[in-house]
Amino acid sequence: MPRAKSKRRQQAGHLLMVPVDWLEERSGLVGGLKYFLFRKVPRDSNWFHTLGSATLTAFIVQTVTGVVLAFYYKPSPDEAYASIQFITNDLTLGWLVRGMHRWGASVFIILLFLHMGRVFLFGAYKYPRELNWLLGVGLLVLAMLEGFTGYLLPWDQTAYWATVVGINLNATAPFLGPFLSDFLRGGQEIGTETLSRFYSMHMLLIPGGLIGLIVLHLYLVIRLGVTSPPWSDEAAGRERAEVVTAKRGLVEPRPRGDGSVPSPSEGTLTGEGPR
Amino acid sequence: MVELLPEGEKVVSNEQERAYFKRYKEDVRERGKPFFPYAMFHDTVMSLVVVCVIVALTCVWYFTSGEEAGDAGILGPRYADEADPGTTSFVPRPDWYFYFLFYLLRIFKWPDSVILGTVGIPTIALILLLVLPFIDRRRERRILRRPVAVVAALLVIASMGILTYKGATAKESLAGENVELVDEWAQVQGLSEEGIEGATLFAQIGCLNCHTYLGAGTPNLGAPDLSEIGASGQTAEEFSAYVANPAEFGNNVMPSYESQGEEVLRLLGIFLEESKGEGGG
Repeated sequence: MPRAKSKRRQQAGHLLMVPVDWLEERSGLVGGLKYFLFRKVPRDSNWFHTLGSATLTAFIVQTVTGVVLAFYYKPSPDEAYASIQFITNDLTLGWLVRGMHRWGASVFIILLFLHMGRVFLFGAYKYPRELNWLLGVGLLVLAMLEGFTGYLLPWDQTAYWATVVGINLNATAPFLGPFLSDFLRGGQEIGTETLSRFYSMHMLLIPGGLIGLIVLHLYLVIRLGVTSPPWSDEAAGRERAEVVTAKRGLVEPRPRGDGSVPSPSEGTLTGEGPR
Repeated sequence: MVELLPEGEKVVSNEQERAYFKRYKEDVRERGKPFFPYAMFHDTVMSLVVVCVIVALTCVWYFTSGEEAGDAGILGPRYADEADPGTTSFVPRPDWYFYFLFYLLRIFKWPDSVILGTVGIPTIALILLLVLPFIDRRRERRILRRPVAVVAALLVIASMGILTYKGATAKESLAGENVELVDEWAQVQGLSEEGIEGATLFAQIGCLNCHTYLGAGTPNLGAPDLSEIGASGQTAEEFSAYVANPAEFGNNVMPSYESQGEEVLRLLGIFLEESKGEGGG
């Protein structure tokens, strides 16, 4: 009896695999996912390395809440403010969605800076990851533009006057300045045209750019791998001679002392001594 | 950021760089840990923390504030009053992560240098950020052996921090306080009846958010001091026309005040014409 049961279970297992195999045969996506999940990362990668994915999480929060907000938000000067009030005060859980979008923006920016600081600290922008640093700077700029364009949308006094100043600042740029501010304003005054433009840029143009850059950024992270903490004794790619110097005490003072959080999983794969 | 090279160290050649990366790949392949579950566990925990922080901020923001516009809780109001292009007394304030730019503009407050604050310094900073990996070509990654990089990073963090803090705590002059100064201005400048009316409007509609006048106001965006503007010999009509549409006179920074209406513009013009400074009058 138990044998028959396990056989049935085996068959069920095969049946489950049918769609997976179907997909794999036609796209290779399953293999890609397997590669993504089971690829090796440096054994000394730690909590510092989570800042990038944390930033991505904040971006996903922005995307999801942004889509929901777009269901109810009305991008015209006559209705925008009322629709924001409706979302915040009357819509079920609307306050949560709008609040998460608003505060998620700040968290997103903070995490971007922290992630950039980590990359700088680790010297992770060096060969062969220069291109990914450039993509990262592009992401930072686009994120700040998201902040600028999104700030106008509630159409309250804060939003309006900050945008007036922001657009006037653009106008001071040599050559391009006046064109840029005319383009942003969409006319003589900040009004219907401006709000539509900012809305379109905020939810189509810039997010599109962000998503594109994020895909490239992640592609390079997976292709090139992440750098080990520079203070690590077993940093991947270290010169063997460096280990000897470290043992002699020349690099000794800072092996793990500067605020690094040793990861709980660290040491689970021990048994292999340093080569 | 061209770093001082420690003795005996050379700028790496391409071959050394390639050799390093080959070693890196080998080390990771042979001794690395799989992304799942190790790194993914960390990432998941961190992502949950991020979402929780966002929700917590939202709850504090929402539950400590009220439905009324401007009814601020610990983290500010849900919204300010509805946008009204007619009121100019509103003090513009960007989101916090633009405070450093916002304050930069106060440092470069003279008309000739304002462009440094609005475009110059941010552009230079962005270019430096972009070329960083091409300037700093050494392979050394240990922070204590990158003195120039460390100093540069600390300077950037310190200046961004200070600018953000200053931007956050910058005080704007309040319309109410400014109006109380009108009597004093009238005495110093010898203002006429209509000049005093103009001065009151000047204090109320927010001119002092960018301009200074006899020591009052906060200089911003390169706006000049107006205490002696009348000594320039321009007529009240000319001043009115300028305030109505500064862009026509080549000033792209100052917004148009045309929406204030002709009467306000006329009185402002008279006030500005009569403002000849302490020596004038």
